[in-house]
Amino acid sequence: MDKKPKVAEKVSPAESVLKDPGILRESVASPLVTYPIEVVVPKARQQTPAVGQRATRLDGRLHGLGQTSYIDDMTFPGMLYAKIKRAGVASARIKSIDTKEAEAMPGVMAVLTGKDVPNNSFGPSLKDQPVLAYERVFHAGDPVVAVAALTEQAALEACEKIKIEYELFTPVLDPLESLKLETPGVHAPSANIYQKKFIKKGDIEKGFAMSDHIVEGQFRTQMVEHVPLEPHATIAMWDANGRVTIYSTLGRITLGRADIASTLGIPISRIRLVATIVGGNFGGKNEITTEPVLALLSKKTGRPVKSVFTRPDEFMASTTRHPLIMDYKTGVTKDGRIQARKIRLVLDGGAYCSWSETTLSKACILSAGPYNIENIYAEAYVVYTNKTMTGAMRGFGAPQVCFAYESHMDDIAKLLNMDPLEIRLMNVFHEGSISPTGQKLQSVVVKESLLRAAEKFGWNGKGSSAGGGKLLPKEIIDATTVRV
Amino acid sequence: MVTVTLTVNGESRTATVGGETTLLRMLRDNLNLTGSKLGCDVGDCGACTVIVDGKPVNSCLMLAAQVEGREVETIEGLASMDRVHPIQKAFEECASLQCGFCGPGVIMSAKALLDEIPNPTIPQIRDALGGNLCRCTGYVKMIEAILLASRNMRGEAVEVNR
Repeated sequence: MDKKPKVAEKVSPAESVLKDPGILRESVASPLVTYPIEVVVPKARQQTPAVGQRATRLDGRLHGLGQTSYIDDMTFPGMLYAKIKRAGVASARIKSIDTKEAEAMPGVMAVLTGKDVPNNSFGPSLKDQPVLAYERVFHAGDPVVAVAALTEQAALEACEKIKIEYELFTPVLDPLESLKLETPGVHAPSANIYQKKFIKKGDIEKGFAMSDHIVEGQFRTQMVEHVPLEPHATIAMWDANGRVTIYSTLGRITLGRADIASTLGIPISRIRLVATIVGGNFGGKNEITTEPVLALLSKKTGRPVKSVFTRPDEFMASTTRHPLIMDYKTGVTKDGRIQARKIRLVLDGGAYCSWSETTLSKACILSAGPYNIENIYAEAYVVYTNKTMTGAMRGFGAPQVCFAYESHMDDIAKLLNMDPLEIRLMNVFHEGSISPTGQKLQSVVVKESLLRAAEKFGWNGKGSSAGGGKLLPKEIIDATTVRV
Repeated sequence: MVTVTLTVNGESRTATVGGETTLLRMLRDNLNLTGSKLGCDVGDCGACTVIVDGKPVNSCLMLAAQVEGREVETIEGLASMDRVHPIQKAFEECASLQCGFCGPGVIMSAKALLDEIPNPTIPQIRDALGGNLCRCTGYVKMIEAILLASRNMRGEAVEVNR
C-alpha cells in the first residue's frame, strides 16, 4: 500500500474506500439490526409534512415549453411510415388478399400480411388476438395488411390499392344474444362465454324470505373510448447485433416485451422496448398493437419504421371500456335494512379477451356495493361479440357496477320513502365489516365521509334523487316484488 | 409542390411542401417545430393550436400555402433563452399539465386570449379554451394558471394560493 505507482496520482473513489476498510464495514451491517425486522405500520390518515402542500410536477416545465419529446416527435435517418389497412367489416372470412398493385407503387417499401408473422396470436390472458388477421376477421378494426412507405401519403394510397375479398358472416352484436348457448360462437368452436365468476355468501332465498320488499332493476352502461390526446405511436428499428429497439406508447412494457418475443419468435433478450413520456393512457395503452408488425416491416426494409394511429383508429381499433348489463334484485326490510342481494352481470367482451378477465373479476367482487349484506349471490359472464375490443380502462369494471348499485339504492330509498343518505348510513360498511369475498375491512371511513360531504353541501334530506313523492314501480311482480 | 415563406416566432422560414400539406405538418416535419401536436387532424381537439396573424387557429385545418407571407407564433416562440413566458411559468407553478400533450395548444389559446383581453373573466377563459380538449386534468388548474398569468403580466404581484 506504500508503494504507489508514480504515474497515477488520481485515486478512484473505489480505491479510496478499499484503502480504508473501516468505511466499508460501517455501511454493510448496523450492529443494532434485529431479526425479524420490526416493520413500522403507519397509522391511517396520519398527517405528514408533505400532505396538503402544493407540489409542482417534475415534467411540468418541459411540457409547457413544448419540448417534451413524444414518440411522434421523434424521427430517425431513413425512417419509413407505416399504415395499417383495417377490415371495416364486423365478421368475415378472408377469401383473398391482393397486394400486387400496392407493392408496385413507387415509394412503397414493404407490404405484410398475417402469413408473414411467425406466431400470429397474442393477448394478456387468452391469446386470441391476431397481429394481422389472416383467415378470419372478428371486428371492423381488425388489422389485415401493413404497408411501409417513404411517406405517410404513399402508405395511405397503397392501402387503398389493396384488394381484400371477404365472405361476410352475420355479426353477433348484442351481448345478451351472445350469452345464449344456441348462438353461434364468435370464435367457434370456442363458446361465447369465455369467462365466468360466481360469488356466494350466506343464503339468498332465506334473505329474500326475511324481506318485506324485493326490488329489481336492470342497469346498462355504454362502451367508452379513452381518447388519450396522443394516439398510439410506435417506432421500430434493428441494430447490427440482431436486436430490435421499439419505441412505443405502450404502458406495460414487460408484458409487451414477452408478447413481442412470442409473436416474432425471438428471445426476449433481443428486444429493447423503450416507453417514453406518454400523452395519456388511462388503460388503453396496456397491450401491444402494431409493435410486432413494425418490427417485421423494419426487418424487411432495413430501415426504422414509424406508425401512428389516426383518431378513427383509436375509436375502432384500440380497446374500450366494457359495456355492462347488470340485473339487481335486493330484499329489504321495511325500515331499509338490506337482507339479500342477487346480481347478474353480463360484460360485452368485444372481439378479443384483452383485459376482460380482470375486469370481470373486479366487477363481480365489487358488484354488491359497500354495504353489509348477509346473503349475496353474484354471477358474472363475459361474452364475445363482433365489436371493438373491450379492455382495461380506469376502474376495470368498478365504475359500471358502482353506477348500478348506487342507482339501485336510490330506487330502493324512493320506494320506501326514505332519505337516500339515511338508507346508505344504515347499510354501509364500517370498521371491521366483512366484504362479499370474506375480507375483513380496515380503515373504513365511509360513514364519516358521507356525513362530512352531506354537511359540506347542505344535504337537507330531500336532494335531487329523492325528488319528493314515492317512486311508482314499473311492474308489480307479486305482493312483495316490484321491478323499478 | 409549393414553396412557402413565412415568419415563424419572429424568424423568416421557407419550406417546399406538397400542395395538400397542412400548416401543422409543415411546422412539424419541415420546420422541425414539433411542439404543436397532432391529436385528431380534423380540427376537433385543438392540440395543434398556433397563432396566425394574432388569431388562434387549428393548424391542421390550414394549408401550408395559406400562410405565405404571414406571421405564425408557436409554443416554441414563447420562452426566451433567459426566461419562460409568464403563462408557462404559471402553468408550471399551478401544476396545470399532466401528460402535457394538450399543453402547447392550450397555452397558445391562452396567449391569444391574453393578447386581446389582458384581464379576462373566468367565462372568457372558458370560452377561449373551448376548442382545446384535455383528457387528464379537468381544466380547473389551467384556468387558475391563466388568471395568475394575467395578473403577473399586468404587473400585479401575486402569490400562488396554497
